[in-house]
Amino acid sequence: MFNKVLIANRGEIAVRIIRACRELGLQTVAVYSEADRQALHVRYSDEAFLLGPAPSRDSYLRSDKIIDIARECKAGAIHPGYGFLAERADFAQACQDAGLAFIGPKPSSIAAMGDKAVARATVTKAGVPVVPGTEGEGSLNDENLLDMAPKIGFPLLVKATAGGGGKGMREVVSIEEMPGLLQAARREAESSFGDGNVYLEKLVEGARHIEFQILADTQGNVIHLGERECSLQRRHQKLLEESPSPFVNDDDELRQRMGKVAVRAAQAVGYVNAGTIEFLVDKEKNFYFLEMNTRLQVEHPVTEVVTGVDIVKEQIRIARGRQLRYSQEDITQSGWAIECRINAEDPNNNFLPSTGQITHILLPTGPGVRVDTGVFPGFEISPYYDSLISKLIVWGETRAEAVLRMRRALEEYKLVGVRTNIPFHQRLMDSHRFMAGQFDTRFVEERFSLEAAEEGKETHPDIAAILATLVAHQQTQRAAHIIQRNERDTSNWKWISRWERMQR
Amino acid sequence: MKYITTIGEKEFLVEVIDERHVAINGETCLIDFETVSDQPVYSLLINGQSYEAYVYQSDEGWQVLLHGRLYPAVVEDEREKRLRAASGGGVVEKGEYHLKSPMPGLVVSVLVIEGQKVGKGDVLVILESMKMQNELKSPRDGVVGRIRIRPSDSVEQKQTLLSVV
Repeated sequence: MFNKVLIANRGEIAVRIIRACRELGLQTVAVYSEADRQALHVRYSDEAFLLGPAPSRDSYLRSDKIIDIARECKAGAIHPGYGFLAERADFAQACQDAGLAFIGPKPSSIAAMGDKAVARATVTKAGVPVVPGTEGEGSLNDENLLDMAPKIGFPLLVKATAGGGGKGMREVVSIEEMPGLLQAARREAESSFGDGNVYLEKLVEGARHIEFQILADTQGNVIHLGERECSLQRRHQKLLEESPSPFVNDDDELRQRMGKVAVRAAQAVGYVNAGTIEFLVDKEKNFYFLEMNTRLQVEHPVTEVVTGVDIVKEQIRIARGRQLRYSQEDITQSGWAIECRINAEDPNNNFLPSTGQITHILLPTGPGVRVDTGVFPGFEISPYYDSLISKLIVWGETRAEAVLRMRRALEEYKLVGVRTNIPFHQRLMDSHRFMAGQFDTRFVEERFSLEAAEEGKETHPDIAAILATLVAHQQTQRAAHIIQRNERDTSNWKWISRWERMQR
Repeated sequence: MKYITTIGEKEFLVEVIDERHVAINGETCLIDFETVSDQPVYSLLINGQSYEAYVYQSDEGWQVLLHGRLYPAVVEDEREKRLRAASGGGVVEKGEYHLKSPMPGLVVSVLVIEGQKVGKGDVLVILESMKMQNELKSPRDGVVGRIRIRPSDSVEQKQTLLSVV
């Protein structure tokens, strides 16, 4: 049994895992890249070791180095977080071979679920419904895919076999544009995963993305912690998640049916530890297995908030060989939780990533608010890693209360230095369709625009005009001030240019 | 001091009377205006109403982020406005187009060569930033001029990548 855990990750999730370890009385070891020397995960952990230069492949993806460090500092276990090495079967295997507990599933489960074609074949055998597509056909060339596309029917999706997070994914509406999109998907898959294989999948229209959190111990107990609604996405990146799902809501029969199928899918690969089964659900409440994420999810807090289960602590307990502390009957969802992903992306400029130093940050607090983050004033948002700054999670007795609370928390959230998508979330909270829970996975891209979300909401162009004028006025005054002081021996022109350089 | 401040299509006549008073379209208001901890965050109390906003300077003027909404603003005094009106505005884009990097990132690939003919919307460069690949496209027809970058180069924001003549 281990007493020291190495966290092979960075950012908010590394901090989240360190917190769980601390509360369990376990020692923590952080690893970091040259860009992250001052990061919170380094400062919060008991020990910290440098991995290498900033790019992930030279640091957080250096599995060999990470295992060496774990051995040297006598850590007994490695928690991979999400992303980086979390879903690499070879890394999980290497940990085992080095005598380290991998806080996650068995390498064989990662491998089975990691190859989407194999995953679909496996769960189909266990009686779990899947979306029509080129499942289990192995690696197909473009010619074969172009041949099969009309049989599946358009619109369809091209997806990377080794993929995740929307990378290597393209939507195809006609056979004419398919060759070009296939090429783009393969290129992106090749550079992201080192594997250019793709498959086709029917696009379920009006679909919702609903997923089930699974916990499984080494004794063979498998339970689910209810669902999360993750339909609000942009370019297949989730932006907002909630639990319960407004679509499932009080249809407990559907919830239990989906939950049972999710448990069966996990059992099909002999799953151990925390995992997530993703489903696509159509308007008629038909649901299809999409994929299994064999790791902790970014959005795990919404489940924690409504069930009261600390998923990270459960992961660690399971890895220590303990039996699950809950049976299925113990799990109930109480109230409503919503999570907004606060990203360094400018919603007013096509969601382009924004980098820079966070000069000022004021986080929302107060009743029912949780913020998971790894940033602080002075922290540099670099182009090397993903754009997630923090996760803002609120709880409410009802969905309405949670929405109002989220609105309040977003208004309190102040961050200076990089542009964030907070204004996007604020508009979303004001949107009638969101409030009514009427949205699908296409909502953000097709039916939601920042301008159209006005919907008769009060605007303040006059206040904005006064603010802009006052700031501009102050600046002119300050400039004039410098010019007036001609008692200096240098010319005013020099002073102006110095002042201008300072303002750049 | 009188200013004409344009928010989107709307013009406002804003007069800064003194430290505590402004007039907007002739209506005088009592104000208390502070910058919060020396940041571009401003707190404005106007006739007792409290507002907090970010005010940034941009290439085109000012940007006010207020209650989750971005208001682009142009602040001019009367002389500046007359000057702009006289110059006509709206210069037709001609000559060389410089493709600038919209963000810091890594060049994944350059899909064109110098002297190549390109059409509007053709992908010129693929840039990776924050784990996302972004296709940078040509805004118009033309011929690729000088290419200043190579695959696997790191680029800064606003760095010129190549030009289209």
